This record gives sequence, structure tokens and C-alpha cells, in this order.
Amino acid sequence: MIRRYHVVAIPIRIVVNNFGDHNPNGQMYVLKENESKVKELVRKNPFTPVELVQPLTIRANEGDTVEILFENQLPFAAGMHFQDLDYDVLTSDGANVGFNPSSLAESGNKLLYKLDATFEGICFFTDVGNVSSTEEGSSIQGLFGTLLVEKRGSWWTDPVTGGPINSGVFADIHHPFLPSFREYAWFFNDEMEVDDLTGNPPLNPMTNQEGESFHGVNYRYEPLHNRLKLIEEGVVSPELEGEEVHHDSWVFGDPATPILCGYRDDPAVVRLIHAGSKETHVFHYHVHQWLRDPGNINSEIVDAQAISPQSHYSVQPLYGLGSLQGAIGDVVIHCHLYPHFEAGMWGMNRIFDTLQDGSQCYPNGTPIAPLQPLPDRPCPPQPTKEKPGFPNFIPGKVGCKAPRPPLGIVGGRGMTELEKNAAVPNARPGAVFADSCLGNPVVLEFNVSVIDLPLVYNKQGWNDPKGRIYVKDEELEDVLSGKKEPEPLVLHAPAGSCVRINFTNRLSHILDGDAFQLVTRTYEVGFHIHFVKFDVLVSDGANVGWNYDSAILPGETGRYEWYADTELKAFFFHDHLFPTTHQQHGIFGSCVIQPRFSKFLDSRTGEETDHGTQITVAHPIIPDYRDFALFVQDFALLFDRDGCPIQPPPFPGSLEDPGIFAVNYKNEPLQFRLGKDCDPAYSFSSYVNGDPVTPILRAYEGDPIRIRLLQGAHEESHSFNVHGLRWKSERPSNDSQIRSQQHIGISESFTLETEIPRAGDYLWAFETEEDVWNGTWGLIRAYDQEVNHLIPLSDRPLPDSRTKPLPEVTGKPPAPADPQSSLPPEAAHNPPVRKYRVVAFQTPIIYNSFGDHDPYGIVFALEEDVKDIRRGKKKPEPLVLRGNAGDLVEVTLTSRLKPDLFPFPNGIYPYPPVKEQAFYPPSLRISLHVNMLNYDVTTSSGDTVGFNPDQTVGPGETITYRWHVQDSMGTCAMWDMADLRNHRSFGAFGAFIAEPRFTTYHDPHTLEPAQTGTNVILKHPLNGDYREFVLVMHDGVRLENKHGKVIIDPLDGVIPKADPDDEVDTYDFGSRGFNYRSERLINRFRKHPVLGDLFSSEVHDDPATPVFEAYPGDPVVIRLTTPSERRRSHTFHLHGHNWKFDPRDIDSRIDSYTGHMVTGVTEDLLLIGGAGGTYNYPGDYMYRAGNIRWDIEQGMWGIIRVHDKTQPHLPLLDK
Amino acid sequence: MTHNRLRSIDQNVMHDMALVEHFRAAIGMRTFILTPSYPFMFVGEIVSMVGDQVEIFAETTHFAQLEKRNWLIHVHNIEVFYIEFPGDPRIPELNDML
Repeated sequence: MIRRYHVVAIPIRIVVNNFGDHNPNGQMYVLKENESKVKELVRKNPFTPVELVQPLTIRANEGDTVEILFENQLPFAAGMHFQDLDYDVLTSDGANVGFNPSSLAESGNKLLYKLDATFEGICFFTDVGNVSSTEEGSSIQGLFGTLLVEKRGSWWTDPVTGGPINSGVFADIHHPFLPSFREYAWFFNDEMEVDDLTGNPPLNPMTNQEGESFHGVNYRYEPLHNRLKLIEEGVVSPELEGEEVHHDSWVFGDPATPILCGYRDDPAVVRLIHAGSKETHVFHYHVHQWLRDPGNINSEIVDAQAISPQSHYSVQPLYGLGSLQGAIGDVVIHCHLYPHFEAGMWGMNRIFDTLQDGSQCYPNGTPIAPLQPLPDRPCPPQPTKEKPGFPNFIPGKVGCKAPRPPLGIVGGRGMTELEKNAAVPNARPGAVFADSCLGNPVVLEFNVSVIDLPLVYNKQGWNDPKGRIYVKDEELEDVLSGKKEPEPLVLHAPAGSCVRINFTNRLSHILDGDAFQLVTRTYEVGFHIHFVKFDVLVSDGANVGWNYDSAILPGETGRYEWYADTELKAFFFHDHLFPTTHQQHGIFGSCVIQPRFSKFLDSRTGEETDHGTQITVAHPIIPDYRDFALFVQDFALLFDRDGCPIQPPPFPGSLEDPGIFAVNYKNEPLQFRLGKDCDPAYSFSSYVNGDPVTPILRAYEGDPIRIRLLQGAHEESHSFNVHGLRWKSERPSNDSQIRSQQHIGISESFTLETEIPRAGDYLWAFETEEDVWNGTWGLIRAYDQEVNHLIPLSDRPLPDSRTKPLPEVTGKPPAPADPQSSLPPEAAHNPPVRKYRVVAFQTPIIYNSFGDHDPYGIVFALEEDVKDIRRGKKKPEPLVLRGNAGDLVEVTLTSRLKPDLFPFPNGIYPYPPVKEQAFYPPSLRISLHVNMLNYDVTTSSGDTVGFNPDQTVGPGETITYRWHVQDSMGTCAMWDMADLRNHRSFGAFGAFIAEPRFTTYHDPHTLEPAQTGTNVILKHPLNGDYREFVLVMHDGVRLENKHGKVIIDPLDGVIPKADPDDEVDTYDFGSRGFNYRSERLINRFRKHPVLGDLFSSEVHDDPATPVFEAYPGDPVVIRLTTPSERRRSHTFHLHGHNWKFDPRDIDSRIDSYTGHMVTGVTEDLLLIGGAGGTYNYPGDYMYRAGNIRWDIEQGMWGIIRVHDKTQPHLPLLDK
Repeated sequence: MTHNRLRSIDQNVMHDMALVEHFRAAIGMRTFILTPSYPFMFVGEIVSMVGDQVEIFAETTHFAQLEKRNWLIHVHNIEVFYIEFPGDPRIPELNDML
């Protein structure tokens, strides 16, 4: 079937909320049929949101051909670039790339795009004619939308009228034999221009400074600062503080941001799209859970999901709206990054229990819009006077804070008559309007308080004088008296339990002011939980919409009830009333839902327990294991021991990245671990510096372990790496990929299940440069002999009695490791041995033809290539080593680093910056760490960590690591571990590719065997030939221009020029690109200032970044990794191609992007249909970052060229 | 080796019959069964055989809501089992934490 749409790109004023905040220079796509209507409505309503001003959402069915007549009314060449669809790249790419003809429409022109909707799901579209990251750019200003591809045979209707619709973010989708469902398109957008009523940037009335930048949903945002003004002006209850009522409709009415309406149990799908430009957000949807990969029943269940720019997911809540327990009420949906939440990035899912036909009103008199029941579901009951339905049975008062819930507060009120009529038959504290605990399960009761106490984060005395933490009441005295070291509260409960919490607020009423924050009256606090089943009206621990305020006042005790219906992993809990203000002081914790029938033991004493960040779990059937919980934190507001604030913001109350980083209320900054010799190579060594104060996770050799990975605070992404261990990325699936790294955003939860094959110290680290520099690392210590502080697991052989003393701090570097003394734990006897001789040395690296270069490059190269690289005969590229499954790889590393070739002899590395700069001179030692492979961590991990021997080499020294390729996992990342500050971003990284057994590697031009290289042909007797393209996506690079002047990216790369007020976080600094190359667009723009031509090879020649070549239909695998190095997550997108999200899993979803590209990530993209996509169209395909701000301008893009004719330099594959 | 279709059918029949007989001989005894489908695990007394289905009184399954009732499990759906014959090791005790 052919579906046709006429789409127009127009300039439009976008009013983003009812306070008149607006973007005067907005841009959007709209259907031609709505163009004049929307323009007229906007003209008539200059300060009121117009419903039709929304991201264009159109629909088609799987198998359809979609023809889009695109008309450009913007003053620059623009287009529509579609992700995930199949199309002829020469005509329908919506871009002007390489030697393709342009498929952008010039201003005032039209052109036709022809697209094939091959796969069901989200096909995001945006403009790539103007990728400026400034307010002159198109995406930033709103030029994006989506084509939603439904199951074949579907049709869609308007949820309000029931009539047909051609576009709209909300629709009801129907099918002849599949259930109808509610479809909600949810576009995160950020950094858009926004002015207040006066035409000036909005101010925050608390700080009287400019408010946070725009963070919204579907062109709307509802920031706290506007609602706060109504409190300050006395329009609504002036006794309120602000943050606690930010989402309260009783006080303010409903927000301008989306409210996704449905009836209890309705099937629904949220089409979640990150249409923004910069930040990786975390989408969190209260009450509900969903499969991370909706078509894959064995994928992880999540209720919070990090999403990078130009990425998208389908969120299909399990059990429909209201989840298993059938909750009704307002369910907040938000970005969990608190500054974004406060800035307005939230909306709601409103779940009704009675029919809405347009005759009802909300408590404030606003009519409730009609909502068609889904045709294949029972019609909800009509509201009656006795049973008016949500929200009209709640005894609230408009203009005042939401009422407190019935039954839940100890000593509080009972139910009104209307509440009784609405309640479940066995209403009880914490479960009044939904029976959260099915049947009559085992009940666990916990008594928990939230308290103030100062927290000391490290040996240097860095401290948070205003620490606030959850603690079990039974431990209050021990924690307050200092007998017990404070740690985040981690409760443990077996699956199938009904959990009841008696929660007491013992916080002081006031959070005092200091260099970081202004005085705030944090007079109530909640206990908001993730994952479990609960009654959202009374047990949300929050104050949302027309719900009750389920917070607890000072001195009060409240009762909540939740149900852990199955083994869920660790779920997060935190306050939801003042989280932006005080969660970073420590108010977070977790409850781990363990397998049913588990017993929890104190790992030191063996006594039964029900809490702790490190416990032992015993089970009658499955193997016992060690359970560890790690919470990473940012925005930790610490003072040094002299009372000076560490990294205060520009003014108190600013959310511009204040403070520092930590894990479980501790950190171990590298600046304090230089040792006597001032050599960074031993910063992680316990011989030199003693053990870190951060968690040391203890086990015996061979023990199974589960790491519960969480983020407690507050705004940023982190990258968790474990050196020497690996786990399945989808824990329930046997087909899952293996990983040694996990990206995490706040409120996400991951269980990393593995076992420790051999005794030794394993480094865990949140390993982006600034994080690890400031101390977010620790150890997993596996003992080979008995120690008196760790019970053995009951089903494992008893550890041998101790015959060797435990190692002790010597203050001196450890002895060199001897990798030849042992085999990797999983290596077979007499495995095939593959040998590489690698040299680390310094050489200038030219990043592009405009002369941008790194004069101080540090590279790894095969010994035989060193001479050619030094002479300029061979251009340096990241070292790529390969091995086949079953191989034992012996890598002999030699250091040829020279002290005079480092840029900063004074030991302070100024740019790109990190927080808390300090003396840290470059190490002349170097090492090679590889993730995911199997090796003896005490000899071959490339780390000199804990009490392991030295695995680095000094100038002229060599070490031969032994790595075992246990499986054909594909891409593994390699990097230096001797000096994370002075080596890695200069190029000391590469990739190892674990190939299938019997694979041989060949030069793509000569077909001769290849030892290394980012572009090879893989030959295999069964699999046939493959082209393998290796892309190392890296950032944090210090480049100089051809005149030797340091380039301060990202701002030096902004087109047309940077706004001097642009905020650049420390971790955004530095240049970036692929494989030691960066095609910075500013260079091209200066030569030829036409935005629409920036990617054109006709105009500019090919980019310096790799141009990979293939023929239509060639099997292609892209090996993608980010070994280096900063915290900003990137998205990778390849035009015109799709791949499986998990290449090993046939049920996995299909994507054309990969998000969360951050240190340690490894991905394998097997292009569906091979080169040229499903239909093998020849042409130039752009690969690029998805971050408009600030990656594409800064050079993160390149080309895959699919030739239609045989090229003399490119032999055909043997297919 | 020549392929004997009848012979392979015989193997299936023999396999199923052996299982059925094994369970029939264990009526009244406790068994532990893992199945690939919901609810994955059963512990309880074998009540009877109904054709080639084992009827057990499930004292424990993975989910408390599905316990204390009789379940019929087809022998093809049994991936792993153990029967507590007299003198054999006991099935581990599975108690909810109270």
C-alpha cells in the first residue's frame, strides 16, 4: 500500500506553557492540510499553547510504501532524514552526503521522498540540512517528528472523537485480531530557545538568576520556577515551599506538558523519542514496568531507561495501564535527572476508573475531555454521585496542597464516605484504592527513618556536613553514635513478599544554606519506590496531579505497602518531594528482591540479616552468591577538612554541575594516590597507597556474585566497568551479549551476575576520566585462602586454611607480574597461540586535512609498523588486534615513551579540564588493558591494582600478556591503565576483535593476510566473506590547529559561532571524532559557508574520517567502541541501515542507532541486508553521532560508500 | 546407517512410557519438577497419573498464589525432575522467610 503525506517545514512561534513562555524562532514539520490552520491559531494565541503545535507524528503499516512530498518554507536548505526506514540513499536520504545528489529541498522548493516501512516501530525523522548546535540550527528549534509503523492491517482513531486522524501524538491503534491500544508519542526535547512573556530568558525566582535551559516534552515544559512565582505572589497557598508541590494539580491545575489519558488496564505503548540535542535523559514512568526490548520476552524488565539523543524505544507497560494491581490515578512520567525534572521535563499518565464522555469536570472546574473506551475492552462504569471516579472522590481543596491519604499516617484520618465507596474491600494503610498485594502473601515489615548526619567521604576529610540518609530504626543509635559506618540503606526481601514500611521523618525542618545551596524548608519527605506494585494514590511517596500527597511530615510516621510479585532485582527508593534539593546529600537506597526462599547472611559473621550493601545469599536450590550494591553519585556537595567547598557552583542554588563524585558515600581521588615516586602507574596499587575507602567487594575464588548497580544522585551518566569479569547484558536470556561495561543514569538498576574465576584484585570503576580521577573506583577482592572476616558459601568447597600472610602496604611499587607463570582461567590445554608485538610510543597525529592535529599523540602499534609511522609513510590509526575463539593471544608490549614528548612537564594537565585539577605528572610507564577477554587478573589485565603485581612497563621494558579468546564476542575495547589522565585521550587506546574460530583476516585491497587494521575482510569457510569496519568513537582530545593554537572544542567548532553564554560542562570539553580523525565542520564552513553543503564531497572532498567502501549487498559488520574517555554519552547512527540491538538474539529489536556511547562500550552492528541496507541501494551513507550539541559539528561523522560499479582498488568479496 | 522411521517412533513411545511408569511407581511420593513454561517449578506429592500427565499436589511453586492445588503436568513439559524415593536424599526445604 502507498501512503502519501504532504509535509511542510515552517517557522512557527512555539508557546511552551500557560505562563506564556515561548520560542519565537521555532520550527516544525506540519501536514499541509493543517498549515494554514496552525498558523492562524498561533497568530491569534501568541501566549497560549496551541494543540496543533506539536512534533509531527504520522503513521503507516509494516509493508507500506510511504511517499512524502516535502515542502521547505524555511530560509535554508532542509530535509527529512528518516531513521530505521529503507530508502534509496540517492533520492530519499534527506541529506546531502558525499557524492550523492542532494536530497535536501532548497528554501521554497519541494521534493518527494519514497520510503519503505519494513519494520514495525518508531521511525524518527529530523533535518540534517542545518546541524548548527546554536539557536540557528533546525533540530534544536523543533524540526523533528516521527513516522510510527504499526502492525500490518492496523488503523488508528482519535482517542477523543473516535474519528480517523492523519497525524497526532496520541492515537488509538486497532487491528482485526490484535488488541487495540493507546499510543502516545513522547518526544524529549532539550536546549530549545525559550523566552518569557517579556521576551527575556526566564528567571528563577529563588536564585534570581537565569533559569535552567529548556528541558521539555512535545514542545512543552512546566518548570518549577513558574509555579514558584504563584506561591511567592500569594496566588496559591503562600505557606508552601515549592518543590514539594511542583507536580500538584490541586495547587496549580494541570501542567501544559502531555497528559496521557487512558482507562485502567488499557493496553498502551509510549513511543519514546529523544529528539533533543545533547543530554542523555532517563525516562521514568511510575507504577509501570516494561521489557527493555519489547519483542524479546527474555530481555530485562525496566522501569527507567536512559536514552541518548536521536534514539528511541517503544515502552509497552506490562499488564496495561495501572499495572498488575490495577492502580488508578495520576502517574508521573519524567526525566529522572533532577535538574531536568525541575526544569519542566515531566508529564503524566492519567488512569481513569470511570467513563469520561465530556460531561465531567476536574475539581477546579476544568472540563475533562472525552476519552473513547477501546472497542475491544469492557466499557468503564459511568460516574455516579456516590462513585464519581478518579479524581472526584478525593477530598482536596483547589489552590491548596493535595490532601493527605486516608489510613496511611499513623494517628491520621480514616476515610470519607466517597473514599470508602472508591476503596478496595480490604483497604488498609498504604493500599486503599488498589490491592497491591495479591492474595495473602508473606508480609515483611521494615521500620525506616530518614535522618541528618555529617558524612565523611574519604581519608582526606572531604565531607558533607548536611548528609541525609535512610537508616533502619534498629540501627539509629549505632549509626548516630559512629559505631556503624553510614552506607546507603539496602534492604533484602524474597520475591513474593508483601513489604510494609513504617517510615519516620526525623529530618530537621530546614536544609541550611551554604556555597552550594540556598536555605530550603524541606519540611516533608517521602519514600518513593520503583518496580514494586503499589497503590499510586496513597503509596507513591510523592505528590502528583490530583493524587494525595503521600509524604510524611517531621516527626510523623507513615505506612506504605508494596508487593514484589517476582524476582525483580534491586529497586531504587528515594524522596520525591524535595529530591532536587536534598537527594544528593544521600537520600537514596534500594531493596533487592531476591529469589524466593533465599536466606540473607552477614558475610562477616554468618548471622541472618535483612539489609546491607554486601551480604551473602543462601538458597536451597540455586547456587549461593555474594550480593553487592554500588550507588554512584554526582552533585555530591562536599567540603574539604578546612571547610572549603569543593567545586561550588557559580552561585548558591545553581544546578550547573555543583560538587563532585562518589560511590556509596565514599570516594578515593587519584590525586591523593601518587605515592612517593609520583608515578600515576601505581595510583590503584594498595601496596603503594593502601586499600581505597570505597567499597571492596569480598568473595572467595570461584564464588558467584551479583552486583546491584544503581545511581543515587543526581544528573549525569556514568560508565561502570569491571576489569577481568564479564556478564550477560540481558540477564534472563541465554542468547545475550557479554559485557564488561554498563552505562547508567539515575534510577536505573542493573544486576550484573557473574562469578570470580580466580583469586586476585579486580578493579571496578566508573571509568570516564573525570569520575575515576575524583575517586569513583574500588576493588572486588577474591581470596584464595580462608580469611576470618568472610564466611564461605555453604555450597562451595571450603577455602584452604591460610598458609600465606595477607599482603601488606609497603609504600613501594609491587614486583612485576609474570604472565607466563599461569594460563587464563578458561583456556584449554595447548590452545592455538597467536602472538603480537606491540609498541607504545609518541607521535604527532594529523586529525584532518585542515591541519588540526595532536602534536603529543600516544599510540599503540605493531612493532613492524612503527618505523613507517614515525617516517610518515603510514598514518597512525587506533591499534586493532584480532583473535579467534579458542586462541591464546600473547601480546608483548614495549614502552618507548619519552618524558620530553609530554606537553605539560609541570604535571598539571589543563585542557580538556576535569574537576579538582591537581598535580599528576605523566607516567613513563604504560599498559594495555582489554575488556571482556578471559585472563588471569593478577598478570594480564594491564592493571596494577590492589595487591596485584605490576602489569605496566617502563621505557625499554616489555611484558607479554596472555589473553584467552573464550568466545567470538566481537568487539572488545583496549586502553592504557598506567595513566588515565595523561595517556588515554592522546590516543592510548584501540580495539580487540574476538572472531569466530577458523576466521582469517585480509587486506580489503590486496586480499593479503592482515595483521591489524580498521578495515579488513574476514574469510570463513562456513560464514563466507564479511567486510569488517572498526570505528573507535572517541572524545576528550586536545587538538591544535595548523598554527599551533589549542582548539577549545566544542565552542571553537560551533557554526556559525558560539554563543558566549553557552554552558560547557567540564566533560564536554575536548575535540572528538573517529579513529584519530575529526572532520570538524567549522573548517568546511569557513571555506564554503553553506550549511546544506557541509557533508558534500562534491564541494569539500571526502572527509578525513574513515570512508569505508563496499559493494551492494556485501555482508558488513561494524565493530564500534568508545575506549576513551569523557562522561558525555554519544549516539551512533548510520543512515539507511538497520541492525539487531543484540546481534546474538534473533528476537532482539531492530535499530539504526546505538546510544550510550561512553567509555568501555563495545558494540557489533551486523547490517541487515549488508551494504546498502535491505534493498542494497548504492550510494554514500553517513555514519555520525546523534548529538547535535556538540558532536556532529565537531567532526564526529564519516561515510560508508557503496559502489554500484566494480572498482579496480576494491576486489569483490567471495560470496 | 539406514533410517528406520518406525524405529524412531518406537524410541519416543518407549521414552514416554518409561517416564509414565516411573512416575506411576512414585504415586504418593514427593517430587521436584522444572518446566520450561510458567510457573517453572513444582514441589509436591504425586497424586495420580492421568494418561501421560502427572497430577501433583503442588505444595510449592515459584509463585505462592499457585500453590496448594493440584496441577497436571504433561511429561513432555518436564525438563528436570527428581523423586524422593524412600532412602534417597530429601528435596531441600523451601520456606518463605517469616
